[in-house]
Amino acid sequence: MTQETRTIESTWDLTAYQFKIEADALNLFIKGTKDKKILGRKCHQCGTVYVPGPTYCRKCLIDIDQVVEVSQEGVLDAFTVNLADVRGIPVENPFITCTVKLDGSDSFLMGTLEGWTEWHSVREGMRVKVVWKDTTSGALADLSHFQLI
Amino acid sequence: MKRNVAIISVGYNGRFVSKRPDVNIPELIQPAVTNALGKTRLKPEDIDAYVVGNMHTFEGVNQPHLWASEHFNGNMKPVMRIATGGTTGASVYQAAYYHVASGLYDVVMAIGWEKQDEGDSQVGLMGILLPEAFSLFHFGPDTSTDRGIAGLGGGGSTGGAAFQAMSYLAKANAGIEHIDRVAAMMRSNAAKNPYAHLQQPGCTEADIAKTPIISYPLRFGHTCPTSCGAIAMILVSEEKAKKFGLTDRIAWIKGLGSGTSDATTGNLIEGQITDPAEQQICKIVAKKVYSMAGIKDPKKDIQMAEVYSGFSHQDLMWPERLGLVEEGASPKMLDKGAFAIDGEIPINPSGGVTSTNAIGASAMVRVGEAALQVMGLAEGGHQVQRKIENVVAHGWGGLFQFVTVTVLGKTPVKS
Repeated sequence: MTQETRTIESTWDLTAYQFKIEADALNLFIKGTKDKKILGRKCHQCGTVYVPGPTYCRKCLIDIDQVVEVSQEGVLDAFTVNLADVRGIPVENPFITCTVKLDGSDSFLMGTLEGWTEWHSVREGMRVKVVWKDTTSGALADLSHFQLI
Repeated sequence: MKRNVAIISVGYNGRFVSKRPDVNIPELIQPAVTNALGKTRLKPEDIDAYVVGNMHTFEGVNQPHLWASEHFNGNMKPVMRIATGGTTGASVYQAAYYHVASGLYDVVMAIGWEKQDEGDSQVGLMGILLPEAFSLFHFGPDTSTDRGIAGLGGGGSTGGAAFQAMSYLAKANAGIEHIDRVAAMMRSNAAKNPYAHLQQPGCTEADIAKTPIISYPLRFGHTCPTSCGAIAMILVSEEKAKKFGLTDRIAWIKGLGSGTSDATTGNLIEGQITDPAEQQICKIVAKKVYSMAGIKDPKKDIQMAEVYSGFSHQDLMWPERLGLVEEGASPKMLDKGAFAIDGEIPINPSGGVTSTNAIGASAMVRVGEAALQVMGLAEGGHQVQRKIENVVAHGWGGLFQFVTVTVLGKTPVKS
């Protein structure tokens, strides 16, 4: 049995794909980021607050339209330390990507975490706050990162 | 009225390996079918129907079951194909169970396989995430550096599983050394299983700790390989089992179930509301399956488990969620040797998914290995020597949200 690997060249045309996606959740979210606010939707039946907020409750399966603003501080839920880049090459300055549960929200937001010196000392449950870019334009990139308090 | 169903034979195509350039998909499946039939007195014409499955298009072939059907003797017979991601193997087996339990057929063969050297699984996984990625880019994440949302997907499935691992470690008050320890145990278990892919006899915690970190806390040694392999199982009704004179060396299906919760990692568009390590759905399904199997206390009545763990921290997490140990007790149980082949509650004597992962086969291999343990036919020294009455087999897939659970036992449930 031979172990050699063959390489076959081919192309994958990504522009051939078309997707329809319910965009209202992120539309509301980036409307908020322009004014440095975090907006979501609350279910009037079960009280679950979604950020970004879809137009329906994923638990009750009913339409929801109550827009709420949640706190810009929250709790670090989980994180991973990126010690290598996407090509697997070790990076000089490791960085942390994390999921954060903002106060008043029932869902998790993802982002990068800063404000630490030694990554071994970062623990779940630490308090964090949102840091904005200086100029906001109404895009996901407006939310620069989360900062340890 | 549902009928009792038994697994009477489990066959593999041979040892699972990373590359099989010498065979194509039908040729990979065929030896497993022959092997399963050869362990019984059945002939190919005795099989009434087939349920088969693999991951869709991971091998670049869209409907391989049509191509392969005559190679597993499926010509002119009902053939159903199922693909549900990581749980494919278990879904295939569950469909085969319902074929028989419903009274529709008496003898059904279930086949699961994957030939990962013919395609790129990571490209396949990327295809699943394309709509999310396109949608996110529409809303303008920071793509100027490797950081930000552009960098989040960098780790592939490991990047997502790392969040689950971190959350689990915090809940169970454990450390990365526990993941190293359980990974080493799985690789040395695999050395006792002649069909396992990554066999490392006497693998130690230090061997695993030497491997580089992919996405903290997950190392290269904590992740599953990409394997090629196939498994075939024969399921028969209670009447047929009696007719064939089969009473010993068979495994009765006592309870089974599946469930899904919300996609817990990757759903950045609609707000992710579930912690990936919580796995409430696994607890719900397990409870339902135990009541179907007549098991009152899983801690006492179940002697062994085969869990689907693509990443090593899951070898600790699933026994807790399946109710086999107390919540948060797995690291302690591991340290006192309870999860070893000769331990109190052996977990994955076969070496598990972190040692062998032919995706479409993996969840069925869990059921097959559980059946072999009940029959007392596990080869190469990974047979559990303690008396086994009930075994639980578990499957996991999707974006951390699909779960299947099965209980096999020595005696059928009285209806």
